[in-house]
Amino acid sequence: MTTATALVPETGFIRWRSVHAIWWRHLLALSRVWQVALTWFVIEPAVVLLAVALGIGQLVGEMEGFGNYAMFVAPGIVIGTAMFHAIFECSWSTFERIGQSYYETALTAPVTIPEIVFAELLFAVTRALISTVAVAGFAIAFGWIPLGALPGLMLVSVGVGTVFGGIGLLFAALAPSMHALSLVFTLVATPLYFFSGTFFPISVLPAWLQPVAWVAPLTPLVELARGVALADLGWTHVYCAVYVLGLTALLYPLAVALMRRRLMK
Amino acid sequence: MTAIEARGVVKSFGTLRAVDGVSFKVARGETYGLLGPNGAGKTSIMRMLAGLSPISGGELFLSGLNVAQHSRAVRARLGVVTQADGLDGELSVRQNLEVFGFLVGLSRRQARIRADEVLGFFRLGDRATSEVDELSGGMRRRLAIARALMGEPEVIILDEPSTGLDPESRIRVWEELAELKRADVTLLMSTHYMDEAETLCDRIAIMHSGRILDEGTPPELVSRHAGSAAMDIRPNGSSRDSIRLQLDAAGLNYREVGALFRVTGGNGAPPSLPDIAGVQVTERAANLEDVFLALAGRGLQEDLA
Repeated sequence: MTTATALVPETGFIRWRSVHAIWWRHLLALSRVWQVALTWFVIEPAVVLLAVALGIGQLVGEMEGFGNYAMFVAPGIVIGTAMFHAIFECSWSTFERIGQSYYETALTAPVTIPEIVFAELLFAVTRALISTVAVAGFAIAFGWIPLGALPGLMLVSVGVGTVFGGIGLLFAALAPSMHALSLVFTLVATPLYFFSGTFFPISVLPAWLQPVAWVAPLTPLVELARGVALADLGWTHVYCAVYVLGLTALLYPLAVALMRRRLMK
Repeated sequence: MTAIEARGVVKSFGTLRAVDGVSFKVARGETYGLLGPNGAGKTSIMRMLAGLSPISGGELFLSGLNVAQHSRAVRARLGVVTQADGLDGELSVRQNLEVFGFLVGLSRRQARIRADEVLGFFRLGDRATSEVDELSGGMRRRLAIARALMGEPEVIILDEPSTGLDPESRIRVWEELAELKRADVTLLMSTHYMDEAETLCDRIAIMHSGRILDEGTPPELVSRHAGSAAMDIRPNGSSRDSIRLQLDAAGLNYREVGALFRVTGGNGAPPSLPDIAGVQVTERAANLEDVFLALAGRGLQEDLA
């Protein structure tokens, strides 16, 4: 019953058990507060979706190339909500776990920092996926998103989890306090939610702001989701997919380096 | 067989040398204590051993494995109880154990069985479904030790196991640590309580300012540095200045602690006090506190020199 003690290389490989165990722990913690989690995953986004699609949608009417406004806005809200879950998990929750010595304890087991970061991102992906299924399910029920688009939206949500989980980890690793940490919402999440083509096409923004919107990390994910929902994918979406993969490839080692600096003294 | 070996270990934080060239060996099954005040370097040594802190210089070995090169394999053989306990407030008592067991490499089934074992050992069975926040300080500490035992480690590191506990909880933790000792587990612990070190440890290293001042069994250390007995002198009419002069003239080793002058002997002998008027003298058995006062006093003087 003793633990695996074979001599193994210390760097450059991920011990799957570490990732699995940390991911399981997070799932267990989430499932213990499922009543509250239900409001995050279902009730809150449902309110936003209904208000925007039915309320604002009445004023907007038909949108050329997108059907009605609800069909335009629903994929973006699915992705924007998933973003909030991923970023919340990896900034707020991770910061709390740092403060409660959770990682310090995990590191006394045969666990490495890259494994911790990997597990955090995996759980951010998990939360993004749960959110996407819940919110998209709602939009599907109202006929705003076709059922066949769900697998594609879930695939996009994986990218949402890795990119915004990664951004959340950077803030968690750098923030000296909870106050500083809240900047991730005021400076990153909220502006992105409104300026990434969710509520209006980027083409209506002033010309100087459009390139900024295209570089913003949520924009390619919203574009991909809308392309999937409308079954209308083109070269733009190749750019989007490459951008998302590139961001993930950049954020992972950066998050590892910053978390190492935070946790190892 | 050597369980832990430190060879000239150094830990630097900028220009501060928190651990300044420390060497010691701990045999398998032994309980070894690092005794010293806060800032002596005890925690830094333990954190380096547990892979939580990079080693700045020298070498650390656990069961013959170099910690700097085989940190993962070392941690698979090690149970660690940090000062912070690090209990997971979002999980129940039992889940804290099972999730950690899974993390160290047990299967879920093994983790369940092992959790039952350690809950039984630490008499926490009836608290298995409790929230961590509902536990008393003593129970939290025992749960943290129980968690460190999940992977059946060869060596357990305990950073100040009874700090912050009430007397009854302390005794209980001590009893349980004694039982681990019977099971032939090697323990490395830090403490700043003399009584804890004296009760639990086979051997002690007395630390001050990142260095080991001396090492040995508690009776050895007491005999070497405090002699067979110590004298407490309480002024009773005589002025403190005059007592000081007479003690200095007699070349005695003493420290002023509160109202008292604590005079220690050395090399197995009690101090031979001159006849001082206007004082009340109490002779008592010398203890580790006297050793620490004697050694740390000398250490401080070296630092100043």
